[in-house]
Amino acid sequence: MRPAGFLLLMLGFGLRLDTTWQGTADGLLVCGAALAIVGLLRDRRRAFVRDDGRG
Amino acid sequence: MDVPCRPGTAVAAAAVIGATIALALRGIARTPAPAAEQADAPFLGPKVRGWYVGTLAPIQARLAAWEVHPDALTWTQLGVSVLAGAAFAGGAMFLAGWLTILAGTLDIFDGALARARGTASPRGAFLDSVVDRWAELATFAGMGAFYRDSWLLGAVALAASGSLMVSYARARAEGLGLTLLQGNVQRPERYVLLGFGAWISGLVEHVRCVAGARHPILGAAVCLLAVLSVWTAVRRARLALRALDRRAGP
Repeated sequence: MRPAGFLLLMLGFGLRLDTTWQGTADGLLVCGAALAIVGLLRDRRRAFVRDDGRG
Repeated sequence: MDVPCRPGTAVAAAAVIGATIALALRGIARTPAPAAEQADAPFLGPKVRGWYVGTLAPIQARLAAWEVHPDALTWTQLGVSVLAGAAFAGGAMFLAGWLTILAGTLDIFDGALARARGTASPRGAFLDSVVDRWAELATFAGMGAFYRDSWLLGAVALAASGSLMVSYARARAEGLGLTLLQGNVQRPERYVLLGFGAWISGLVEHVRCVAGARHPILGAAVCLLAVLSVWTAVRRARLALRALDRRAGP
């Protein structure tokens, strides 16, 4: 999810910086940020799960 | 494209890229190191490549589950590279950098997907190699169009020639029965250099906000790529000649 979020964010920034498609850019930035945040939170939660079979 | 400067957006994009690089470095540090580094190894070593492939593995698994044909990714890569060339020609550097990185990622996906689906074949390998060259040329052609009134056009031509010769030296050596994997600057390095060069150049020009920006940072990246590509092509040719001399005997 994080790589997809990053790709969407960068496409959003690209459209915002280099084109007049500001609405599309804003939509991509919101979607990309949401995906990246969810991906980061998932990874963070996983870090607290014990993987040695005892927890 | 005539668009106004957006320094605030550029700073936000730079912050996101910086945070992503910090996370990436953490991931790379956790990736197991290879057994031994070879001479003339690519600048982006196996650790970085392993981390990137590992990061993209879930997307690759999803593509395999959807039964996406590897050839579709190969052709998509060509389309993305043509768009990257158009973006370079139009001076949309940040977008061009993104498209270049995306094309590089698709380039990794097609071969990996073919292997994962068990559909790897000489036909696919040939198509991939040929389309890769056209894709690179499309990107360099766009860059050449942007620098058409500058001495940097020569650097673009040299970088394009060097990049093609790196691949040609390997293909010709393989045709003669040699394996030639060495080379400091191979395709991933070229994608990273051009992609990040365009990104940084685009961001800096939005912050500087000078009319008729000529993107000297991208120009420097192209010059560096020209030197490194030619160096790698010459090194590969020398290694192939040495191997052929050894095979021929005294």
